[in-house]
Amino acid sequence: MALTPLSRSALALTLRQLSRQHQQTAAASSLSKIGNRDVVGFGFNGQPSYADRIDFPMPAIRFKENTPDIMALREKEKGDWNKLTLEEKKALYRASFCQTFAEMKAPTGEWKSIIGISLIGASIAVWMYMWMKVYVYAPLPETLNPDRMEAQLKRMIDLRGNPVQGTSSNWDYSKGDWK
Amino acid sequence: MATWGYMGLQDSASPLMEQLIFFHDHAMVVLILITTLVGYMMASLFFNSFINRFLLENQTIEVIWTVLPALILIFIALPSLRLLYLLDEVNNPSVTLKSIGHQWYWSYEYSDFSQLEFDSFMVPTEELGEAGFRLLDVDNRAVLPFNTQIRVLVSAADVIHSWTVPALGVKVDAIPGRLNQISFLISRPGLFYGQCSEICGANHSFMPIVVESVSVKSFLSWVTSSDEA
Repeated sequence: MALTPLSRSALALTLRQLSRQHQQTAAASSLSKIGNRDVVGFGFNGQPSYADRIDFPMPAIRFKENTPDIMALREKEKGDWNKLTLEEKKALYRASFCQTFAEMKAPTGEWKSIIGISLIGASIAVWMYMWMKVYVYAPLPETLNPDRMEAQLKRMIDLRGNPVQGTSSNWDYSKGDWK
Repeated sequence: MATWGYMGLQDSASPLMEQLIFFHDHAMVVLILITTLVGYMMASLFFNSFINRFLLENQTIEVIWTVLPALILIFIALPSLRLLYLLDEVNNPSVTLKSIGHQWYWSYEYSDFSQLEFDSFMVPTEELGEAGFRLLDVDNRAVLPFNTQIRVLVSAADVIHSWTVPALGVKVDAIPGRLNQISFLISRPGLFYGQCSEICGANHSFMPIVVESVSVKSFLSWVTSSDEA
């Protein structure tokens, strides 16, 4: 439909207002995910997100949304800190941060699960080997019977095999027994 | 000789093998030193709770951990080169043994005094005596005198084999159409075992080598009596 001059200027005005709001809403939409939380710094990567990290101790945004109680405390915080009670200090901390450093660094006990599951895996492997030994592998050669091994060992000693640091070096020839 | 559960090198029966063992021990000390150092550094980093986000470069430590490895390598290289040249020393062998690899046995020829030739087959496991060494014992051993410089000429009749006796520090490829020469001296009497060390077919694992080291007198009487036989 054709635009009359009046409707055209009205449209232009509306568009300008919308674009201004759009700029505001464009900025706000990326921040809309964080709700009513203040942006207080750069954080660890410049994004308005919260993370408890011991190497980046100051996150970009506060942890909790602002409430009238907290705003009142913030005003009181601007004065003498000695006038703040311990409960108030804790409330102020918890409004801005999720965990304390002690809580961040606290051991998780994850190592117990890791060791336990690894040992269970290892024992499954051992069970599988035992099954293989019983049902799959052929029997060992007869030369590995104890009497045959004893005869071979005696022959090695008679032959003076490895006389420097090995088998025969541990045999006392005058005594006829191990050293 | 090889025995069950052996992790290290067999005791040497030859001066060169003795030197090889010494070099191995020396290199092992250096390696343990490096491993301990690196392991300690890794452990101390693991249990370190300090944080430094701005650690980027440091010229001093870069110089240190470039120069230090170079120094350590010199400590390994010098004995290594000494041994390398020692192994290639010229000497004057008194006895020559020809060792020919076949599928799947060795044949030995002694041509110094008379033409003595024989084959050396592995003793099958079923035919071993009470004290026989499985996969190692042979029917005819290569007899050699100790305290004598020996030359071995190794070749093959069909495919590539490899003649080796670990206690003597010897491993020589047996290549058809080629004569490879190795020289060694056996320090003590005894039996020294080895196994074919180049894949040569189905029975590659079943063609061992046995060197029987005897006195010069015994060797000479064996050569003459075998020839007569």
